[in-house]
Amino acid sequence: MAIDDKTLEAILNEFPAKVKRSRKKHILIKNSDAGPQEIEANTRTIPGIMTNRGCAFAGCKGVVLGPLKDMVHIVHGPIGCAYYSWMTRRNKAKSEDPKKNFLSYCVSTDMQESDIVFGGEKKLARMIDDVVEIFNPNAITISATCPVGLIGDDINTVARLAREKHGINITAYTCEGYKGVSQSAGHHIANNGLMENIIGQGELEEPPAKYTINILGEYNIGGDSWEVERVLKEIGYHVQAVMTGNGSYEDLKNAHIAQLNLVQCHRSINYIASMLETKYGTPWLKVNFIGIRATIESLRNMAQYFGDEALIKKTEEVIEKELMEIEPQLEPYKKICQGKTTFCFVGGSRGHHYQGLYGELGIKTVLAGYEFAHRDDYEGREVIPNIKPDADSKNIPDLHVLPDENRYRLKIPAERMEELKKKIPLSYYAGMNTTMQDGSIIVDDLNHYETEEFIRILKPDIFSSGIKDKYIPHKMGIPSKQLHNYDYSGPYAGFRGAVNFARDVSMSFITPAWNFIVPPWKDKPLLEGSIEQCSEGVCPVDDDKK
Amino acid sequence: MKNQSYRNVNENPCNMCMPMGGILPFKGIERSMVIIHGSQGCSTYMRRHIAEHFNEPIDVASSSLNEKGTIYGGEKNLKQGLDNLIKLYNPGMIGILTTCLAETIGEDIDRIAAEYKAERGLDRLPLITVPTPGYGGAHSEGYWLAVKRIIASVAEKTRLHSRVNVIVPNISPADIREIKRILQLMKVDYTLCPDFSDTLDRPFVKPYVKIPEGGTRIEDIAAMPGAPVTIQMGVTVDEGMSPGKYLEEEFGVPLVNVPIPMGVRATDAFLDTLRHLTGRERPDILEAERGRLLDCMIDSHKYNFQGRSVIFGDPEIVYAVASTCMENGIYPVVAATGSKGAKFSEAIKKILAGCPDETDILNEADFTGIREKSRQRGANIAIGHSDGKFLTEREGIPLVRIGFPIHDRVGGQRLLSVGYTGTGMFLDRVTNTLLERKHSNYRAAMYEKYYTGTA
Repeated sequence: MAIDDKTLEAILNEFPAKVKRSRKKHILIKNSDAGPQEIEANTRTIPGIMTNRGCAFAGCKGVVLGPLKDMVHIVHGPIGCAYYSWMTRRNKAKSEDPKKNFLSYCVSTDMQESDIVFGGEKKLARMIDDVVEIFNPNAITISATCPVGLIGDDINTVARLAREKHGINITAYTCEGYKGVSQSAGHHIANNGLMENIIGQGELEEPPAKYTINILGEYNIGGDSWEVERVLKEIGYHVQAVMTGNGSYEDLKNAHIAQLNLVQCHRSINYIASMLETKYGTPWLKVNFIGIRATIESLRNMAQYFGDEALIKKTEEVIEKELMEIEPQLEPYKKICQGKTTFCFVGGSRGHHYQGLYGELGIKTVLAGYEFAHRDDYEGREVIPNIKPDADSKNIPDLHVLPDENRYRLKIPAERMEELKKKIPLSYYAGMNTTMQDGSIIVDDLNHYETEEFIRILKPDIFSSGIKDKYIPHKMGIPSKQLHNYDYSGPYAGFRGAVNFARDVSMSFITPAWNFIVPPWKDKPLLEGSIEQCSEGVCPVDDDKK
Repeated sequence: MKNQSYRNVNENPCNMCMPMGGILPFKGIERSMVIIHGSQGCSTYMRRHIAEHFNEPIDVASSSLNEKGTIYGGEKNLKQGLDNLIKLYNPGMIGILTTCLAETIGEDIDRIAAEYKAERGLDRLPLITVPTPGYGGAHSEGYWLAVKRIIASVAEKTRLHSRVNVIVPNISPADIREIKRILQLMKVDYTLCPDFSDTLDRPFVKPYVKIPEGGTRIEDIAAMPGAPVTIQMGVTVDEGMSPGKYLEEEFGVPLVNVPIPMGVRATDAFLDTLRHLTGRERPDILEAERGRLLDCMIDSHKYNFQGRSVIFGDPEIVYAVASTCMENGIYPVVAATGSKGAKFSEAIKKILAGCPDETDILNEADFTGIREKSRQRGANIAIGHSDGKFLTEREGIPLVRIGFPIHDRVGGQRLLSVGYTGTGMFLDRVTNTLLERKHSNYRAAMYEKYYTGTA
């Protein structure tokens, strides 16, 4: 069943009038006849509405900084936030030097009441001394939680003094939870800090290999980056730095030498991508390594960018080889998945990326959205000039970079760049809306009430989101697939990842456990007739889908 | 490495923050909801962790304060949040918990709550405020303070009745169900608070409802002052946070503080308390369960006696596990909690008195400290919540999971460890973990020690 304006109105009528007016702007019914459809995004969350959004600290320390493995990430604040961001994103990392992988450590100043009253700067400074002595990391970050900014701890000065004292890169991030409207603010703060303090600090002047690239916005959840890098290496690329999954300070400081930056998650890392282009002349290419077609297209676009016949040929060879390996494996799963429907609601890019992979399995996305994205992630980057800055976005300062006097290089001639831009998404992201089918629902900052209502009406066969909302569909008799942390599975990226995903999704459809559970709407017979008795506790299920 | 007390680093914490603990009791009150006054990240992070432990939807609202709120105060956000929460959930009670942010900017939530009720004409809706800044204590303290505030806000002077107050710490829903079963077997009328045995471990039923069925009824909490006695499983709770103490001081309800009924002695003590109250002996069914537990202990003693345990987590659970280990010769070499509180050390010292080896008792511990001590003291089994997996990964000490949070395994909500039956199940988990460790290496170890002489 589809949702029309009237049904949507009925759902929203449950809200108080003011809330209804606001939420209405965050929900679209895709209609390609209507021209570009505008959606409201990245505005303040409505209090009390059971949002899935997190805070600036979560975006900065939890998402962007946290995966950098050879650094110790100090959380300056009371213990909670450090605890809650400890290994919770399942970003994986392996270090060549096992003594330089600190991901399993949660390090906090554990501020107490007296620190709130008298200030925590001294405690933080002493703690940095301890961290250097105990861990000897390659670099240190300090992330602030709410009270730090309120009591006026100057963590930037503490970091600067510690940097002078210990002679290693120590930087501070004022990512207090109240900044901005969601984790998106934290991504921006982290992007600024990494660009200002780390990227470009390395001494490399020339790329170490012929096709040197960075992968931006890939967090190696469930090993995604490893599968992507495997394929890229086979084609002949050299991956200088991944931001930030399985990333390291050592690689990141030389990220300036890449000839091309790939952008996987546009939302969390587009600031660095743009700044790298301005400062070092490195173009960025929007890629998507989730889904087979998207992976192939991304690989072909990369080859086209470099324009080298041998590289183009090798790319096609690798694609062919990979497809031969996975296509037979995918066949049985496609049969199971064919004709099903899904919701795809994730943070800032996966809500879009996974639709293609679902589609390849025969599963239609009937509702999709982002937790914390901006309008450009829905409508494409062309709307950026039209986005009015508000008080919240102004609170996160833009970092203005200039071309580096010594290191700025045009990677390809301007003329060819213009030519390429017509063919491949260089410095461009088209957003989610264009790929959605007419009649499907696009919803920003989905909350629990709407989740429930949309499920009741659209009756998806699977619900893909995160751990906070996955138990609602479970209780309603619908399987879920966590796309934040993959339910401890993965990798899902690239070619082999697609098979893993197909296997995991199929499992949800055919596990016998569901035979005991019938979603409420399936109890009601669609046809007149007699209803068979359940035998031995096993109910005939899904007859309409067989 | 420096001495624990001189370190400025909390490295791999053994506790969470105060509002996290404050959410849980509200989930055990009928038709109750919680809003957290602060940045929305607090609510999101906590929901995430609670959902992962219980495998249940955990709806906790947030007032979503932002930069503007830090300057002008968050009153408007909180009131709007309450409006929306009431409209969408129609709750019978709302807990308002504060955060680092709200407390640091000095939000007067009592005033805001009172004003809100007056403005909206909601005289009969209990709004329970609990000041829980993250720096104010660990999650255990948040838990007890929330229970106390719920009771203190709702309790009324009532005529005497026969329902016994039973106040439980943060134990599993399965544990609460077992305690209720024992109370029923002893034919005791009771008000158990907070009762999240159904709400945080709900059966699959149709249709899905936003606020789960179950929980302590508000009118029962209101009548707690008329009870003949309060049985509180809280021997480590500081008096300032003790709900039982509050009922005793304000309403003269006698307080009996007992440990969580885990192990023979503590379960006997709980049942003795009930026997004194009712004059009824243990029924045959419990007598048989006790006998089976003793049989289990005897059968397993040769394995258990080789256990040297490191126990950590919420103070009340560490106490209960330590005393069970003492009864079985799984002598604790380290007993640690991330909380602080004089009563924990004092109480646990008493039960560890007969330990052949001195036990290291750690207050405000982190896992780096616990790991260091465990290695020094040769611990070979860890008992506590999931974060103890660090000890397995780094020191090869196997972990038996109990307490909160259990986020790397399913079924934390279904772990049964109290009463005679639950203790037996817990002991089997411990014994089998010791056996698994033994079987994984003992042939090679013996071969090397006795035959080749290389060990």
